[in-house]
Amino acid sequence: MKRISVLLLLGIFMGTLLSLTGQAIGASSIVVAVDTPPRTMNPHGSDADANLSVMANFFEGLLQRKAPEGNLFPALAVRYEHPDLLTWKLYLRKGVRFHNGNPFTAEDVKFSFERLSNPDVSEFINTGKSIASIDIVDDYTVVIKTKDPIPWFANNLHQIYMMDKESTEARDPGEAEVKPIGTGAYKLVEWVKGSYVKMKANEDYWEGPPLIKNVELRPITESSTRFAALASAQVELVSGVPVELYEKVLENPKLDVITRPARRSIFLALGNKPGSPWKDIRVRKAMYMAINEDEIIEKIMRGHAAPAAQVPDPPTIGYNPEIKRLAYNPELARKLLKEAGYERGFEITLSGPNDRYVQDEKIAEAVAKYLAKVGIKAKLDVKPKSIFFPQVARGELEFYLIGWFDGTFDMGRTYFKLAHSRDAVRGFGGLNGTNFSDPTIDTLLEPTGSIVDREKRKKVLQDLNKMAMMDKIVWIPLHYQQDIYAVQKGKGIKFQPRPDRWIVFKEISK
Amino acid sequence: MDLRPRLTLAMIIYIARRLTQGVVVLLAVSLICFIIFRYAGDPVVTLAGRYATLQEREMVRKAFGLDRPFYIQYTRFIANAAQGNFGKSFVSRVPAFGLIIERFPATVELATSAIFISFVLGVGLGVLVSLKPYALRNRFIMAGSLFNISMPTFLTGILLIMVFAVYLKVLPPFGRGETVTIGFWRTGFLTWSGITHLILPAFTLGMYQLAVLLRLTRAGMREVLTEEYIKTAWAKGLPPMKVIFKHALRNALIPVVTMTGLQFGELIAFSIITETIFQWPGMGNLLLTSIYESDQPVIVTYIMLAALIILSLNIIVDILYAYLNPKIRYD
Repeated sequence: MKRISVLLLLGIFMGTLLSLTGQAIGASSIVVAVDTPPRTMNPHGSDADANLSVMANFFEGLLQRKAPEGNLFPALAVRYEHPDLLTWKLYLRKGVRFHNGNPFTAEDVKFSFERLSNPDVSEFINTGKSIASIDIVDDYTVVIKTKDPIPWFANNLHQIYMMDKESTEARDPGEAEVKPIGTGAYKLVEWVKGSYVKMKANEDYWEGPPLIKNVELRPITESSTRFAALASAQVELVSGVPVELYEKVLENPKLDVITRPARRSIFLALGNKPGSPWKDIRVRKAMYMAINEDEIIEKIMRGHAAPAAQVPDPPTIGYNPEIKRLAYNPELARKLLKEAGYERGFEITLSGPNDRYVQDEKIAEAVAKYLAKVGIKAKLDVKPKSIFFPQVARGELEFYLIGWFDGTFDMGRTYFKLAHSRDAVRGFGGLNGTNFSDPTIDTLLEPTGSIVDREKRKKVLQDLNKMAMMDKIVWIPLHYQQDIYAVQKGKGIKFQPRPDRWIVFKEISK
Repeated sequence: MDLRPRLTLAMIIYIARRLTQGVVVLLAVSLICFIIFRYAGDPVVTLAGRYATLQEREMVRKAFGLDRPFYIQYTRFIANAAQGNFGKSFVSRVPAFGLIIERFPATVELATSAIFISFVLGVGLGVLVSLKPYALRNRFIMAGSLFNISMPTFLTGILLIMVFAVYLKVLPPFGRGETVTIGFWRTGFLTWSGITHLILPAFTLGMYQLAVLLRLTRAGMREVLTEEYIKTAWAKGLPPMKVIFKHALRNALIPVVTMTGLQFGELIAFSIITETIFQWPGMGNLLLTSIYESDQPVIVTYIMLAALIILSLNIIVDILYAYLNPKIRYD
């Protein structure tokens, strides 16, 4: 007995000692845990939102998007003109300096855009290759000409970050991958891969110094550990709260939950190979109606999703509010299958990633079960994203689950990429993973590339979208995800999530 | 008969043979993982960016030499690897070897602490249990060790986090804490925060080994304790501590030490799960991220390195064993 009490005492002593070491996080500092570690500090080295999000603190584009709606605002360019279909004339902001003291000028813009097409350092090959020429008019005026008309060119400028020509060329390329020199609101203090990224405020920032002076960004990939870090007050804000832990966070009196409808929609891409049952529009409708999306949202997403009737989200140009979901109706689905001559059903392979979207594998399983109820035998083929996406890129699949949102807020690019027939020469259909091909859609889509007028563009894309979703059932839409964040209560953290899920620290105050 | 260890010709041949075998195994490992990870995903899709056209993807494929036939890619990799150049990571575009070595200290410190904990506790408890195998307390310990062996690391880690970090709030749930850099080595041993961060992951990682070492020590001790010379020692009236530790444990320890050495390599190479749960910035964590992103150069380099470590430790243990125990023959 005596020994046990000694042990107990020792334990308590150790406990108090250890708890004393947990330092409080200062008022002008913030510690944030994110679900994905940054891959590189090279602003063009990754086009994944998780990386762009971190880069947005060190670097800036010519334009920027701001919370909460993600609207475009001037950044390193004060304004731009679009005199003809191919030309973009940009007027740069004067008096901006990079973290190393170099002034930001037209030379840097030219350098940064040219760097995009170098596969050794860039994942923005497509943007880089679409540019025909970059002309410097004077130190603060640049004219960019594109090879083809790109109506969404300006919409993309917030994620094309400007680098300092002089230091990037002078430094070893490896160093540019780890030590960022930008014009952004924060400077890098230290990046220990897999551990943290520490940043401090750029006091000379052109918008004025940010309110939070010190930032520690901690990647914690395991979601339960991320929750533990928040619950034990080691971090103050976390992104990517899994739906299974939502209730737990709500129950905790010290935590607050912040949710935001995500831009990303989850949908099923269905091929239309000649001779396959699913080329028949009745079969496509039947498959659509066989899926009980409300139940998926309630049971699998635990309420953290909103039903989708189309792929783009409301702020995207081309979103059409007139498109409605086909209601869940298994009887009608069976009737349609019978009409089409598939009373006894058929077999189809349903592919999808199992490590990419919220509950992706479970959703695919549910879809297979719903289809089985109307007699369609869907063989499940879910796999890691590193295997799944290359198959999409090669167009090898017949039916798959995927998620999408377009960073440019313009559906045109998405349709060219996902729905246009695969065309290696013209560069269309690069992620049309089922080899879907419909000449009506192709012919309607192609001229939209040169429509720049916003209202006209909106109208044309809305019509196209409606036809694709209601008459052709190019895709079977499921739902829009929800982004879930959690913060420590009572710390006065003011945080507004962004539609692109980026965490931009100059937008946070405490 | 002279039983003192000596470096004989037979032994030199034995060592040479073991080394040659090692090189062959390394080559085989590299070939296998090269084949597997070539078909497990296509890095070009990520490398070229989401919006790249088919032509742009082909351009990138060419730029990285991924369009070349398999055997050319492989021989080029081996030729470069022989010179210490393992290629650049597709994801972070810096040398893969550097990326791994940067994470090496974290993993070594974790594995060392884990092996230390499991050795001290495992042997200690093993001796304790062996003395009175049927005492109730010792039966509990034995049952507990069975529990340890059967419990998945993942669960152990999460439970420890829940109890010590979330409910008791005495230990941090993730990361390495403050570190001090000495030369290239970033160590967490020298700060209080570093040590508190080490406790939970080290326990989680060492848990399985602890149980194995405990059972091994107990078995060894029980056998040795029945030997005549131990009975003699007791009969001579030697103090119990001397009999147990000097005479019995010493002899029971040989297989335990061998096991510890072999396990150490595996702990370094396969601490993946523990590192992931605790967001420990070590090599295992890097490997998992790299697999998710099909970062071939990092994966292949990592596996080669892991194979090298395990092989070297095996060879060293074998040689030492042979050296220490002259009864071992080298055929």
